[in-house]
Amino acid sequence: MEPAAQQAPGGEGMRGIAALSLPARIFVAIAVAVVTVGIAFHVAMVFLQTAPDNTISKRHGELVDSYVYPEFERNWKLFAPNPLQQNVAVHARATVAKHDGTTETTGWVNLSAMDGEAIHGNPAPSHTQQNELRRAWEFYVDNHDEKGKPLGLRGRLSEQYIKRIVMRRFGPELNGGSVERIQVRSAVTPVAPPRWSDERYDVKTRYTTQPWWQVTSADLPGGGK
Amino acid sequence: MTDEGRYMGIEGPRARVERCVSRGLARITAQALGPYQTAIVRIGFGAAWLFFLLREWPHRQELYGPDSPWTWGLARQLIDTNDAFTVLMWSSSNSWFQLVYVVAIAAAAAVLLGWHTRASTVLFMVGVLSLQNRSVFMGDGGDNIIHLMSMYLVFTRCAQVWSLDARRTRRFRERRKAATERAGEPGGEQLAGRPDAVERPDTAGYPDTAGRPDAVGVAAVAGSAGVGGVVLWTVFGAVLVGSSVAGGFSIGWALFYWALWAVHGLWWVVNRAAVRGGTAVRELRDVCDILANLAHNGVLLVIMIEVCLVYSTAGWFKIQGSRWQDGTAVYYPMNLDYFTPWPELSHLLAGNGVMVFLVTYGTVATQVAFPFTLLNRRAKNVLLAFMITEHLSIAVLLGLPFFSLAMIAADAVFLPTAFLVWAGRHCAAFGGRVRGLLPGGHPGEPRPAPEGAAHEAAPKVSA
Repeated sequence: MEPAAQQAPGGEGMRGIAALSLPARIFVAIAVAVVTVGIAFHVAMVFLQTAPDNTISKRHGELVDSYVYPEFERNWKLFAPNPLQQNVAVHARATVAKHDGTTETTGWVNLSAMDGEAIHGNPAPSHTQQNELRRAWEFYVDNHDEKGKPLGLRGRLSEQYIKRIVMRRFGPELNGGSVERIQVRSAVTPVAPPRWSDERYDVKTRYTTQPWWQVTSADLPGGGK
Repeated sequence: MTDEGRYMGIEGPRARVERCVSRGLARITAQALGPYQTAIVRIGFGAAWLFFLLREWPHRQELYGPDSPWTWGLARQLIDTNDAFTVLMWSSSNSWFQLVYVVAIAAAAAVLLGWHTRASTVLFMVGVLSLQNRSVFMGDGGDNIIHLMSMYLVFTRCAQVWSLDARRTRRFRERRKAATERAGEPGGEQLAGRPDAVERPDTAGYPDTAGRPDAVGVAAVAGSAGVGGVVLWTVFGAVLVGSSVAGGFSIGWALFYWALWAVHGLWWVVNRAAVRGGTAVRELRDVCDILANLAHNGVLLVIMIEVCLVYSTAGWFKIQGSRWQDGTAVYYPMNLDYFTPWPELSHLLAGNGVMVFLVTYGTVATQVAFPFTLLNRRAKNVLLAFMITEHLSIAVLLGLPFFSLAMIAADAVFLPTAFLVWAGRHCAAFGGRVRGLLPGGHPGEPRPAPEGAAHEAAPKVSA
């Protein structure tokens, strides 16, 4: 088992091309040119998408985006420029209608803590535990303004997505009643500064509460089809 | 440089440039470079996606099924705005989803083993794109790099070594050679006398890296596709017709798949024709071979650049980050609830300020420096070892095994050939030993067993 690179030195290949007829050689030359240009273009596009905003990417932003999205996108930066420095948890509560006609508002349930428990001691956490709620919340926050108003289609989609994630975990019945409305809030806690550093800052949890959402049958498991 | 080279130098810079260009041209047209590197990339990404799909088997409905929290309907609305490719949008039925998931697993296994790789890499890509684009918000960086590489692998000849395809071609060759020798045909002697026809079992044939007309090699490509290859090609053709008629593809994707399908068919036809055909057919076959090598080498370069881009842009962005500057960055991920499967271990490591500082600075330095170390073999290998080690620790500490496996698979494109060959030999030897220990197993490749062993293996006869 020897590497092919050592077995077929360049000289043989040269004979390979040289042995071709003139039309074939012209064809190969064109192919070389096409492949070279293609690679240069592809690499340039991918580079411009990942590089910081600059003179060229500002001028050709549309071309870059139309080429790179959706399949050649690179959407992670390996903890750059700064790693996330706060724990973002999503809490949810519900108003349930009891069978005796009364309604009750439940306490807040920390859904992210449930994920955390599933991840704890797990050598290969599932995407449903590590990514589902975490990334859904990023999606939601990115597409809502500060007052919790959805921005465009993505805003509305993210809202439905969060509702369905919550309802999947609550189930249609909670505390002996059926869930009528739900409310979510985020609980953001900065990671405490390292013990070995002299940096000090407030690590109090900050809550951002979203409006109440009416639950429909489409938000329940089985209602998505 | 040899004496000859120095004399050539007297010819002046122009001649030297011409010689360099023609040598470079010969290199990229005559062979599919990096057979071991592309093979390890194929195996790595096949394994990462296969293990991921198997691990998520119990959660597959929640991730990609029609009734996932990210429902088929929600996905439909998002995909209408970005035209991402996914066959899961063809139908919202559960059985269609189950079928796609199972086929994606099969394709990943086929890519891992190198079984009909030309076809299985396409199916692998379809599986990756379909599932990931169906639920984009379920993925992370690991999914993203698998997504990119699944498309690149389609264009590479990544089964030249360490694959069932390579083994099938080798066996085809051996049978063929034995047959011609037994028959005593003049052609047989001629072939046996050609060293490249005999001593290159791994690189010859499918895909033919010999890079020049080689009767046995051509026949091996033509013959080794076998019934399986023809059946696969026919099935894909039928699926393509069906989905094109039903309007499952955008024009761009339809052209892409039909072109691939036509090229795969053409390659098979041309190889069969070249076995008996005249000069023109042989030349056509050689031109096709050259084009395939060109595509492979070009995409291999793209893969390498992409890996460099991943690291260098990450490094450049990090330099701007205050936490990477003050040497505490690594401390923070180890305190995030979503990335601490082993909190005690993470807190223990994060509790050491000097070590956090060293890893933080080391990471930035490595990532920024990596593309430039490619100019120096030894420096490149040292950094590569460092990065692979870092990804192994990320796998455990941050609970990201599939992300890490994918990143290591991407790094592997830069592993030195000597190391890969060495590792391959040891894996084969280990595999042989394991097989020898298994009941009914036979060690290593099927080779004629010693007579005594044959008797022992058949006690009933000897008794």
